[in-house]
Amino acid sequence: MSARRSAAESRGITSEYERGRPLFKVGRTLLNGLVLLFLVLVCLGPILWLAKSAITPTQDTLRHPLELWPNGVDWANLRTAWVDIDLKLYFWNTVVIAFGSWAVQMLVAVTGGYALSILRPRYGRVLYGLVLATMFVPAVVLLVPLYLTVLDMPFTHWNLVNTYWGAFLPAGASAFNIALVKRFFDNLPREVIQAARVDGCGDFRLFWYVVLPMSRPVLGVVSVFAVLAAWKDFIWPLVVLPDPAKQPLSVRLPRLAGVTELDVMMAALLISCALPIAFFLVFQRLFLRGGLDGAVKG
Amino acid sequence: MRNHRRRGLTALATIASLASVSVLAAACGSDGDDSENDGKVSITVEGWRPGDEQGTIDAVNKLAEEFMKANPDIVVEPVEWEWSAETFSTQLAGDTLPTTFRVPFTDTKGLAERQQIADVTEYVNELPYADEFNPSVLAAATGTDGKIYGLPTDVYGVGLHYNRHLFEEAGLDPDSPPTTWDEVREDADAIAEATGQAGYVQMSANNTGGWMLTTLTYTLGGRLQSEDGTTATVDNPATAEGLQMLHDMRWEDDSMGKNTNFEWGTINEAFAAGKVGMYMSGSDVYNALVTTNQVDPDSYGLAVLPLSDSPDAGVLGGGSVAAVSAKASDEEQAAAVLWNDFYREKKNYDPAAAEADAKVLAESDQPIGTPTLPIFDEPTWQGVQDAIAPYVNVPQDQMSSFREGIFDQNLIPEPSSHTQELYAILDAVVQKVLTDENADIAALLADAQGQAQALLDS
Amino acid sequence: MSSLLTRARGSASTLVFLLPMLLVFGLFSWWPIVRSVIMSVQQTNLVTDPEFVGLDNFRAVLEDPLLSTAVQNTLWFALLALVFGYPVPLILAVIMSDVRRARGLYSLLAYLPVVIPPAVAVLLWRFFYDAEPTGVFNSILGKVGLGPVPWLEDPAWAMPSLVIEATWAAAGGTVIIYLAALVSVPPEQYDAAEVDGAGVLGKVWHVTLPHLRGIMLITLILQIIGTAQVFLEPYLFTDGGPNNSTLTVLLLVYRYAFQNTTGGDYGKATALSLMLALTLALLSLVYFRLTRRWSE
Repeated sequence: MSARRSAAESRGITSEYERGRPLFKVGRTLLNGLVLLFLVLVCLGPILWLAKSAITPTQDTLRHPLELWPNGVDWANLRTAWVDIDLKLYFWNTVVIAFGSWAVQMLVAVTGGYALSILRPRYGRVLYGLVLATMFVPAVVLLVPLYLTVLDMPFTHWNLVNTYWGAFLPAGASAFNIALVKRFFDNLPREVIQAARVDGCGDFRLFWYVVLPMSRPVLGVVSVFAVLAAWKDFIWPLVVLPDPAKQPLSVRLPRLAGVTELDVMMAALLISCALPIAFFLVFQRLFLRGGLDGAVKG
Repeated sequence: MRNHRRRGLTALATIASLASVSVLAAACGSDGDDSENDGKVSITVEGWRPGDEQGTIDAVNKLAEEFMKANPDIVVEPVEWEWSAETFSTQLAGDTLPTTFRVPFTDTKGLAERQQIADVTEYVNELPYADEFNPSVLAAATGTDGKIYGLPTDVYGVGLHYNRHLFEEAGLDPDSPPTTWDEVREDADAIAEATGQAGYVQMSANNTGGWMLTTLTYTLGGRLQSEDGTTATVDNPATAEGLQMLHDMRWEDDSMGKNTNFEWGTINEAFAAGKVGMYMSGSDVYNALVTTNQVDPDSYGLAVLPLSDSPDAGVLGGGSVAAVSAKASDEEQAAAVLWNDFYREKKNYDPAAAEADAKVLAESDQPIGTPTLPIFDEPTWQGVQDAIAPYVNVPQDQMSSFREGIFDQNLIPEPSSHTQELYAILDAVVQKVLTDENADIAALLADAQGQAQALLDS
Repeated sequence: MSSLLTRARGSASTLVFLLPMLLVFGLFSWWPIVRSVIMSVQQTNLVTDPEFVGLDNFRAVLEDPLLSTAVQNTLWFALLALVFGYPVPLILAVIMSDVRRARGLYSLLAYLPVVIPPAVAVLLWRFFYDAEPTGVFNSILGKVGLGPVPWLEDPAWAMPSLVIEATWAAAGGTVIIYLAALVSVPPEQYDAAEVDGAGVLGKVWHVTLPHLRGIMLITLILQIIGTAQVFLEPYLFTDGGPNNSTLTVLLLVYRYAFQNTTGGDYGKATALSLMLALTLALLSLVYFRLTRRWSE
């Protein structure tokens, strides 16, 4: 399992001895420095440029895209974007969609994983097989039939188009989440569960008081990826939420791009990626380490 | 200033509703048809475009209130909406269109054939002016079955829109816009040379490339389809000549700028930002330039398109039909036609209604007096023009070339069969010519001709 | 414990726990999958009853002249994505794995583009790709005496431009996967290689890369599956243009279903979706066999 070695423990490709040789040392420092420079320029650069342009008047950005504020800073862009092109509305829509998708995904993954891993009904293997089988069908291919289903739900004939339920519920059908949670539950110490059973714990109490408290790591991983995925999603909300007043940022921004002045648009783009970046910085450990087992072995 | 709407509450309400599943039933079960309460009919109607300023929204809402006062049994809710090739069919399938909405002339027949819009013949026939429509205009709202599927509410002819400031900067006289395509080419070159902006730009994406190539072909005397819509004539000398001209302007003169991916909305934005010397679009586009893009009125000029000497040369005319959703009930259909009569059509017919309408628009600084073409006969049109004359607030002298010239031009309707699909095929042709210096125009047209004919044969 | 009563109650509560999964998967995954098969042999306008048309939809798709363009473009995108996108994360990860201090900073930077919403990234890059000499990238190129490059404004340049942005947006995720695998290289193997007199490159070649072989194959297949479904970039950057040079298979599906202004052709859309799905399912199958073998 994930024997995560600390930096001191892992020796890396180069040896202590090699790193001690002066010429080698210079070369290695240079290489590492170059890579760092590359990462800063390529990965961070565009975002810094965006931050700069968000507070630069349009004409400066157009005429001198690489200069720093030749004619001063224009902070008003951020306000104009937030208030006048109504970014706050789309921002909140995105928050609602991310929150709802997260809640649905958690509910489905945790209860499903629990039933399949701990309760183990006889038909469990077949069911798990059916869930995993959906991984073979690329989500985008389902776009049209899924849309027509949401348009006129079986039995109830509800039309979920233009409702947030249409955005939340399909997000729950993630085989990846179920597999991740089930595997985690499979590896929980059986003795603890047995002991709880002996103490007379029913299925619900076992779930609530024993299994859930032990699952914080996997819940964290599922959560951060669920929220980020919902924030990034484009094609499904594009199709299921045609009403502009309900659309998230991802869907709305391309529409606004045609009718909004450049500086305000840049401010809007900056605002739209501010939250995911902050979220990433706060939970970076989960993104950079926690997701790995899942990503590698999912 | 752009519009400023407060819809944050909707978002909050949704968070609250997450808690209770029962809301799901309420939210999905009967979205928008509370038409049953106290015998009133509720309809949603196309109100304003995305990005419109607050004044536009206020004006529509005010007219809706007036309408409801006169028709106490009808509740009208104007909503943000704009026809776009991009989203229309999703909304159609999702049943998320307003009860009534405008579609281009090109689509009425196809939509009617697929039973996507309602047959409103009986309601239209109740209107006082039902038998006074200009026959060729009414034909655009009529299905292949001879029934009427909406009210033709606005008609445009394509014009040449130009930036007077860029003309001046390039040493050209903004009061004498080009009258031949050769002059267009020379002026575009001069503008690009002197100002660094694109002298002439033509739309190329989202079916607008086909729309404008058709326009260009018409001005040179060609056609892209036989009149009965059974034979494609894409591979014709006029279209080839037009494409060659575009090619030369783009690659020899370098007067079209380096960015060529434009459609209706983005070209308006670029023009309003002063980046475009001249472009072709419907004669009524000034309204959108003002309400959506805040164009500087002093910079705006509108001229008729140059026509070649060919007797078949003419200018493309089109328009919109206010159609009604096929899923609307009879009462809703009737209410929708009444609203369209009140909000869109009566002002094209009745001078008093036109004046009242202009008054409301003037109060919220909406553009009045943008050139349109007659939906009824010319005297009716003239009467309306006279009625609104005191309220006109658009720079009509800067549009005089168009206003005086358009009635001498031969107005030609768009291709009648599979129009938008034909336009999509032509988009690719225009894009190829504008992005590839070595594009083989003859081969492109031969290929497009094959595709277009296959479309008509299918 | 195993009396009949507890068994019955047990299976009832099992069902309660399974219910959310059954409902959500049933409605939003299993049923749409079945439905796409049904719809691919039907014609429907969503107003009147659907009509059975046999294999007409498949035939119509196969006869569409745009299909071969779309398939070729998708393959071209996948190939370019491999050429640009495959080696870069690998090289970065190998170098980063040997960074002693501040490796966290390196990973943080590398992963940053991954969290930017794709729609935001595309809109930003669309501005970078301005074809005028004053565009952002062309200004940078101009400073070193290159360009201007037409980027999205040229049928030959458009696809590579899309791929560069897509690589930028996705490479970080792959770097992190490689890094995780590299941490688990047994130090003894490096020691042994040194005893045999291997230099740094020798160690990379004989120890690091062989250790990564499994994961490299997996990321390769994942990337191919991912690129076969490319939609957002061509849709938002170029809408398939210029002259259909960036029209991909999924964009064609979208056009069939959602961009016909007189009503979508859902039969053709699902037929093409199914054909794409079948191809990808085969690839996924290979992927699953490989992950199983390598994760044990």
